[in-house]
Amino acid sequence: MSSAAAQFLRDAAEKSADLAHREIIRRGMESYDTAHLKGRARIKDWEAAREKCQQIKRQAINHLDRYLVQFEQQVIARGGHVFWAEDSEQACSYVKNLATQRGVKTVVKSKSMVTEEIHLGPVLEKAGIKVWETDFGEFIVQLRGEAPYHIVTPCMHLKRDQIANLFREKLDKNIESDDPAYLMTVARRILRQAFFSAEMGISGANFLVADAGVVAINTNEGNGRLCTSIPRIHVVVTGIEKVLPRLEDLAVFWPVLATSGTGQGITTYSTLIGGPRRPGEADGPEEFHVVLVDNGRSRLLANPEQREVLHCIRCGACLNICPVFRHIGGHTYGTTYPGPIGSVLTPHLAGLAEFKHLSYASSLCGACSSVCPVKINLHHHLLQNRRDATEAGATKSSERFVFSMWRRAMLHPRIYAFGGWSMRKGLRLLYGLGLAGSALDPMQVWNRHRSPVPLPSKSFRARWRNGFNTNGKAN
Amino acid sequence: MARQTESSSRDSILGRIRAGLRVVPHSAPPEESERPIFEDINNPLERFQGECVANLMECTLTADLAASARQLATVLQSLPSGSIFVQDDPALRRLIDIAAPGRAIRWSSEGAPEESSQATVTRAEALIVQTGSILVTGSCGGRGASIVAPCHIVLATMDQLVPDLTTALRRVSQQQLLNSNSFACVISGSSRTADIEKILVQGAHGPRRLVVILQSGPA
Repeated sequence: MSSAAAQFLRDAAEKSADLAHREIIRRGMESYDTAHLKGRARIKDWEAAREKCQQIKRQAINHLDRYLVQFEQQVIARGGHVFWAEDSEQACSYVKNLATQRGVKTVVKSKSMVTEEIHLGPVLEKAGIKVWETDFGEFIVQLRGEAPYHIVTPCMHLKRDQIANLFREKLDKNIESDDPAYLMTVARRILRQAFFSAEMGISGANFLVADAGVVAINTNEGNGRLCTSIPRIHVVVTGIEKVLPRLEDLAVFWPVLATSGTGQGITTYSTLIGGPRRPGEADGPEEFHVVLVDNGRSRLLANPEQREVLHCIRCGACLNICPVFRHIGGHTYGTTYPGPIGSVLTPHLAGLAEFKHLSYASSLCGACSSVCPVKINLHHHLLQNRRDATEAGATKSSERFVFSMWRRAMLHPRIYAFGGWSMRKGLRLLYGLGLAGSALDPMQVWNRHRSPVPLPSKSFRARWRNGFNTNGKAN
Repeated sequence: MARQTESSSRDSILGRIRAGLRVVPHSAPPEESERPIFEDINNPLERFQGECVANLMECTLTADLAASARQLATVLQSLPSGSIFVQDDPALRRLIDIAAPGRAIRWSSEGAPEESSQATVTRAEALIVQTGSILVTGSCGGRGASIVAPCHIVLATMDQLVPDLTTALRRVSQQQLLNSNSFACVISGSSRTADIEKILVQGAHGPRRLVVILQSGPA
């Protein structure tokens, strides 16, 4: 078992038994569910919207080379810079070198999952640059030294008194209330100073629009607006898969993203930026850089089954609906992207052998696929990852041995009958000795935390021969 | 730093993308659907006002410039003293002359808004009925004009109402607004967050108030 898998099992056991944590998640998700359903009801034909988004993303990804070049050419023509990064290291060193060459002391960041994926913050901090996360939730998890808990609401695992205590400890011992509006005012005051002293703003992008040659950034708080308006340099760090062919495509993607993300009709600030400040404009950065990160995405493109995983718009809907996420929470996954999309994506970005266990962090109920606004068949991709891990030999020898025995038994009725008989007798003896759930128990994984399933006295085949009564019980 | 990157990573990424795209995906292409996605808009003004309320914006209808000036004066009186930032636009110069005689004014032609601005006053490129939004570009006083001050006041006219996002974005494309401006934004309400326990807090990093003065006559 990989160390990530062992950690996952430990954290999952702990978190799913933590009733206070589950209560926080339950309440958060309940309020999301209400808003999401209300938001969907405002759209006349939600299924048509999903189909439209699926079509557009499919077109975008199937002509990704053309659209990326079209985007790039226009940004360059307006005086912007475009850097193509193979991996995390190239992306981070581009931003770090740019910052050091320009004498940047302070960076303000708006929320970007790609910068989390490439671990940009620590790289800049190590180069002596102060990095401020400016999204309120990100600011809070940064103060705690934690990764975001959720890709849309990074601090949904915290209660207001925990946040007030955190502020008292890290910012100001005179914090007098745990009222969310008051805590936001405190953060606003501190971050205002950061916005106006920073030399560089770093943002992600929700979409890259090919025909208009602009990045589209959605925020509610307006921190993304300040990051991209005040500092002298604006750097966009984003994945190559974020492309949309036409500006008009946003007329469906903006409402669909907002509805799936938070239940809003549209995000408060839907911003389009195509380059540095133009002559005659009152303000805006003098430099505009776009870092296009591959980091395994082009490999996924060549996968005939899973190319559509690149359609994801990071709305978080699959996390919110997932019964596994709702029990174990975001941090347990130990990945940048948690929940169903993270379980599908992470093995591709970070290694199948290390993260194959996430393919099993699912009941395969399909709820994720049913809410996905771009109709990614998420639970099928989890199954494909399971198959691929097995074919790649990433399974334990004991597991392969058990399955080869199982296969043999399934092909030979006598062996199967003998296996069933010995399990009934053996387990009855074992349970009789009070050893259920012990290391000797072959059903240990199940019985450790549960009472054993009652053992039948006769085999299924014996009951079948004797006929079943109407209750399905043997006569 | 080179404007375009040293081409090694660019070429290898594009090469991998092109090679990857030669692989035919297993899943069949989705069906083309042209079913209408959004509700029709029948009564634009009423719908716009309704969406403004839902977005926690203030929208006031006025008959002419004099009425708009009275409305602006009322809003400004409710704010603390201090300078305001105004887009340098002929109609707004006329409006400010009437509405804010005593206020210190910084015009967008003088540069970016100061952090201490109490309010900003700008025009908009369009008002979007479907979502209760205003569309602004760099021409509307720059980027900071709609985000730095705690109150953003927009003077718009009835003929600026467009039915939906598609129409608004089509206009942006047709008029090449993103070549003449480095920035555009569809703003749908005041700045907000629900990061703590999903409780809505109005006024996060940007304006707490977004006021639209919607004038029926020409500006």
